[in-house]
Amino acid sequence: MATNEIRLVLVTPEKTLLDAPVTALNFPLIDGQIGILPGRAPMVGRLGYGPLSFRNETGKEVVYYIDGGFAQVKGSEVSILTSRAVKPENIDITKAQAELEEARNRSASGDIEIKDRLEDQERARQMIAVAKAK
Amino acid sequence: MANTRELVKRLKAVKNIRKITRTMELIATARFKKAMDRASEAAAYTRKISEIVADLSQASLTLSHPLLEKHDSIDNTTLLVLTSNRGLCGGYNGSVLRHVMQRLKSDAREPDKNLNIEVAGKRGISFLKFQGEPIDRSFTNFEDNPAFAVVEEIADRYIQAYISGKLDKLEVAYTKFESAGVQRAVVETLLPITQLTNSSKEEKSSSVEYEFLPSAEEILTEIVPAAFKARLFKCFLDAAVSEQIARMVAMKRATENAQEMIGALSQQYNRARQAQITGELAEIIGGAAALE
Repeated sequence: MATNEIRLVLVTPEKTLLDAPVTALNFPLIDGQIGILPGRAPMVGRLGYGPLSFRNETGKEVVYYIDGGFAQVKGSEVSILTSRAVKPENIDITKAQAELEEARNRSASGDIEIKDRLEDQERARQMIAVAKAK
Repeated sequence: MANTRELVKRLKAVKNIRKITRTMELIATARFKKAMDRASEAAAYTRKISEIVADLSQASLTLSHPLLEKHDSIDNTTLLVLTSNRGLCGGYNGSVLRHVMQRLKSDAREPDKNLNIEVAGKRGISFLKFQGEPIDRSFTNFEDNPAFAVVEEIADRYIQAYISGKLDKLEVAYTKFESAGVQRAVVETLLPITQLTNSSKEEKSSSVEYEFLPSAEEILTEIVPAAFKARLFKCFLDAAVSEQIARMVAMKRATENAQEMIGALSQQYNRARQAQITGELAEIIGGAAALE
């Protein structure tokens, strides 16, 4: 494989969604966006919620919504492990909005519940944002 | 006369049964192939997770997570039983349930402990009801392709319960898929997680210096539940694949047995027919001889 290419492998527990060469890619880590170019040093990262975007070999931009998980960069191979990867056109906006409403109105007490609520809100917000950005 | 007619009737019935079992065998074969494909696709995720875990442990980190810690006293145990919704699959449900009954018997000796039983599959539900065992939760929504989202919900509930101390041990009774020829019913302990990697196959050839973002601890807090979910999901997939194999084998046997029976019955029928003709001939000849 040429050094100016990255092999992107997108894996969910159910199947390997994608195994394709890309030139660059962009995805959210738990504390912010990260961009990966060829020649990135080896890395393991925890993913956040949001869009995974990259250009495929025809130069078209492809976006997936990813739902947490891990990223592993090793040599020229980038593996994205996520429990869910959805194309923006397949996101159910009304459902995401309902989830956001539910999370906002939920009463939470204790650190864990509050953290859960914030996570759920963030997830729903990102899902809506990705769906609207297409 | 009555004898031959009865034989014809039985022959027809057996032929119909053969047709049905043969069709079911073909369906099970097709479903098995699909389930097998799904299981092998899912294996990629598990493999990657254990790869990352191996990388983490190489980074000389002490792996500590609430899910990895054993609780001091085991008071609340949950036993999850995976059976099929449909029958006609040979000893598949029977062997899982036999293990479950053994487990329950050993549990009866410690009456102060709490054991919750959760069952997936109609077969297991009706069996345990018949045995008079209390079932805490039951699922019938798992067919031959369990969805990760559904399994994740169940897994999340267990994780919550375990961390908050309401659950001390989680056991799963299911049929483990070892190869296309070997499936074994087992009772496995999933929580607390005993070992994260299936280290036997791991070769530590590549030692890459990883950068952990945001930190190794952050990744650890996320990867332990993910590994647990992947493992639970694998149990469901294994059970689905094993069910189809068991059904395939059972139906193949049934078809062969029907075939044999058809052979025996048609032989009997031919004999009876011949005997009848011989009898009639003898009567005619006897009658003609009497007239002379």
